[in-house]
Amino acid sequence: MTGEVKTELPINRKEALERIGGDESFLQELLNIYSEEFEKKFAELKQAVEGKDFKTIREAGHYLKGASANLSLPALREASWKMEMAGANSDLEAAREALSLLQKEYQRLQEFLKASS
Amino acid sequence: MNQSSKVERKMESGDLTDKAKVSVLVAEDDRVTRSLLEKQLSQWGYCVQTSADGHQALEILKKTEVRIAILDWMIPGLEGPELCRRLRLLKKPRYTYLILLTSRDSDADLIEGLEAGADDYMTKPINLMELRARLKTAGRIIELEDSLITARKKLARLALTDSLTGVWSRFRFQQFLKEEYNRSRRSAQPFGLLMVDVDNFKEINDTFGHPAGDNVLKQLAQLLKKNLRNYDRIARYGGDEFIILLLGSDLGGTGSVARRLLEIIRQKKFKTGTGSTTSVRLSLGGTVFFPESGKESDPEKLIVTADRALYRAKKEGRDRTVVIPLEEENI
Repeated sequence: MTGEVKTELPINRKEALERIGGDESFLQELLNIYSEEFEKKFAELKQAVEGKDFKTIREAGHYLKGASANLSLPALREASWKMEMAGANSDLEAAREALSLLQKEYQRLQEFLKASS
Repeated sequence: MNQSSKVERKMESGDLTDKAKVSVLVAEDDRVTRSLLEKQLSQWGYCVQTSADGHQALEILKKTEVRIAILDWMIPGLEGPELCRRLRLLKKPRYTYLILLTSRDSDADLIEGLEAGADDYMTKPINLMELRARLKTAGRIIELEDSLITARKKLARLALTDSLTGVWSRFRFQQFLKEEYNRSRRSAQPFGLLMVDVDNFKEINDTFGHPAGDNVLKQLAQLLKKNLRNYDRIARYGGDEFIILLLGSDLGGTGSVARRLLEIIRQKKFKTGTGSTTSVRLSLGGTVFFPESGKESDPEKLIVTADRALYRAKKEGRDRTVVIPLEEENI
């Protein structure tokens, strides 16, 4: 596994709630949508990395970056940004690294959410 | 809560069709942002449509009356700035306020977006408080635009009708005349033109006062109009002069309409508004355009000829009609 150890929480819940007017159940709804989208995009990314499809790498990375930022998921946002950059620079090695970082951070988020619910 | 009722009140005071909600389009491929905006905008009282594709968004903008569009910069299909450009080319009758959403934030992007026709610009992640404030600005612009449209319609109405008598304005009549001239040439149907002038109108004003003169003109205009076919056109030409377009009328028809109007007005008593009544006498001059004569003519020449006929009616003693063919004018 690559990537440094993260000490910050996978989600800045306070910031995310502030943005949507403090509605807890709506945040949960949005996180569910996020998870569905993440899994879809992650599958696309995996295939794109295998097939060296840098356009898809950049676009899917960009997509996840925006979605992550919206829900105040800083680590996932950063991993997505690395993916987008890897696509833009046609850097396969960086894309592979970003892919495993994304997977790791996503698992960390899911575990955190499960634990805090 | 308070905010949403405020938004609704604003909508009612604008020219937006009765109590209709302001319609907003959200074009955004990120489902999280889309769901977030859809829910929040509905709560604020907007009517929300969403799209995840640039081409589809453009179709919605073409087909429906969207007043505010929130467009993602990097939406698949057509990207935000291109979408802005295409929308502006549509020349919709009502203005659509465009807000571009982006996760970029460099000045160059901002300038590109605004030059493409966007009105505002927001960076993601969206702060809802900021969005609410920006939508208020959008609402003000829309209201302003709506009141401009209302004012323009009112001005158009003022330009097309005569405010005193309610018949067409001289400006509008000139358009009718041109249209009828062209149609007549295509359909080979003649048409007649009558100039109507009140005899000694100044005496009515001098005897009963100017408000009485206005009253007489109003009644006269409505009476003349009532005695024409509904496809004929009557306008106030100026002062106490009216001008009439008689569709499909030849010399005989135009002459008989002129004599009929002269007779009807002769019989009528006009209220002065001061408790008394007065009678009115008219002089009418007319001419006819025959397309089959094949000669190129100028619609304005018809007015000159009708005016000449009117002058003759005056000179020959008033209270009469004179209708002359258009050709006579050229001799």
